[in-house]
Amino acid sequence: MQAVEVQEIRRVFTPRKREPVTALAGVSLTIPVGEVHGLLGPNGAGKTTLVKILSTVLLPTAGRALVCGHDVVTETKAVRPLIGIVFGGERGLYTRLSARKNLEYWGALYRLSGAEIKSRSDALLERVGLTDRADQRVEEFSRGMKQRLHLARGLMGDARVLFLDEPTTGMDPLAAREFRTLIGELKGEGRTILLTTHDMVEAEAVCDRVTLIDRGRILATETPRSLGSLISRFQRIDVEDAPADVLAAIEVTTGVSSVSAQPDGSVRIEVNEEGATRVVLQRLVEAGVTSVRTSLPSLEEVYVQMIGERGLVV
Amino acid sequence: MRAFLAGARIQLSFFRAYPDALIPFFTAPMFSVIFQMIFKHAGRQDLTGYAAVAPVFIALWWMALFNSGWTITIERWNGTIEMLVAAPSSFAAVIFGRITTTTLAGVVSFGETWIVARLFGTTIHIEHGWAFLATIVVTLAAMAGTALAMASLFVLARNAVTFSNSASFPFYVLGGILVPVSLLPHWVRPISSIVFLSWSADLLRAGLRSTPIHDFGFRLGMVGFLGACGLGVGAWAMHVILRRVRGTGELGTT
Repeated sequence: MQAVEVQEIRRVFTPRKREPVTALAGVSLTIPVGEVHGLLGPNGAGKTTLVKILSTVLLPTAGRALVCGHDVVTETKAVRPLIGIVFGGERGLYTRLSARKNLEYWGALYRLSGAEIKSRSDALLERVGLTDRADQRVEEFSRGMKQRLHLARGLMGDARVLFLDEPTTGMDPLAAREFRTLIGELKGEGRTILLTTHDMVEAEAVCDRVTLIDRGRILATETPRSLGSLISRFQRIDVEDAPADVLAAIEVTTGVSSVSAQPDGSVRIEVNEEGATRVVLQRLVEAGVTSVRTSLPSLEEVYVQMIGERGLVV
Repeated sequence: MRAFLAGARIQLSFFRAYPDALIPFFTAPMFSVIFQMIFKHAGRQDLTGYAAVAPVFIALWWMALFNSGWTITIERWNGTIEMLVAAPSSFAAVIFGRITTTTLAGVVSFGETWIVARLFGTTIHIEHGWAFLATIVVTLAAMAGTALAMASLFVLARNAVTFSNSASFPFYVLGGILVPVSLLPHWVRPISSIVFLSWSADLLRAGLRSTPIHDFGFRLGMVGFLGACGLGVGAWAMHVILRRVRGTGELGTT
């Protein structure tokens, strides 16, 4: 049995007096038990929509989704005790109540006994480093502290499958690193985690597999290592004082997607094939160009490249 | 039951966090003074019962109705409503627990209203103590049940607070809580008879008079019946409306 099975899920929103918006256009995805799965995509890609469907708060327009073998539409009572949800951002907590009160309330909603609520909330507050602030109102917390409390709240029900929607939003680098350690511990406990993020580093650090999603379609499901090589294909090289004939020759080299002048006077060479960077650098060095800088594109730029590729195929 | 109790407990915490939910405790005595003075100086001591009962009903109904709208709105603003729906406990039971706690807290307005009335020279006597007490208990249950039905509608409304605020007044009129239903146009009376407030307000006022209460059992039964209808409709409507907003994607929309 898989922890999460998504079969051709479609979700179309029909706002009043506006054209329907397709948030998910036939998404299929399988996540085995115990896997940390990253869902990467820009804003509006459909990540949160998918998480909401899996967490039973949104109905799909078509398709089927199962959590631990239970249908998220017809078997909500079976699904809900198995899942924990952590939506990112400042919302999702009762800010005028203390951290402890928040956890106790959610523990009661997950049908824990009084003793379980106490022991689990104490343990979770300790785990996310909020023991000293447990009785302080949440409105006095920093954004990062709220995020940690979000995570503790999501774990109150001892969920087998966790949906973390951009959980490190607002965390400082140190807290984000601790969070990644925590994800590792949760995985060690056999929990399945679906993590949505914009952050490539985070995805590579904690995920067993990563799904790239854009405009409601899955572009690829890869291991982070494969994704790394995918991104490295789209490397770019910024050069200064390169002779025009050398640049012209590079422009027609296989694997070079563009050569363009930048506002600061430098020239940017973009490649879209593995190995092309090496060829370009070799030519530049042979031509005596010494001011050269290579960099990786942002995730969004990779999407643009990938969608372009898919567009040609389709 | 656990969900109901969880809702009740969190509501007690919310009273401390959001004291504005207890505004009726300040307004009810003021209404009491105003009504007492008007009736007293108009020479209508026979309407003392109305002046005593009306502020209490205004406070109770406001707390039940306004807080049911407020509860839904706060959950939306907090971004917690989706997580509440996704929790294993029944959303309707949690909300019902919160509304019931609020309604029970409204009982305080009985005491303070009558204390203030006394300070202003009016003493209120309860002539039929047990009937009065039974009516209060059934009224509170009916109020909580009816407020659940309203809360389910508020799930549909974007700004439930505004709606719940203005929705109070028609019930004050239809419930005959200050102006007797007998003084309203004839066509209003059938509508009034399906509003439990009209039955319970009449019974409470009857409990203050020395004359025997006629058809007490039937009238109390009507309060209970209409309240149970509200609870049943509320639970059913909550189920249907939650399914609808899960479909439209408007559950968390603020």
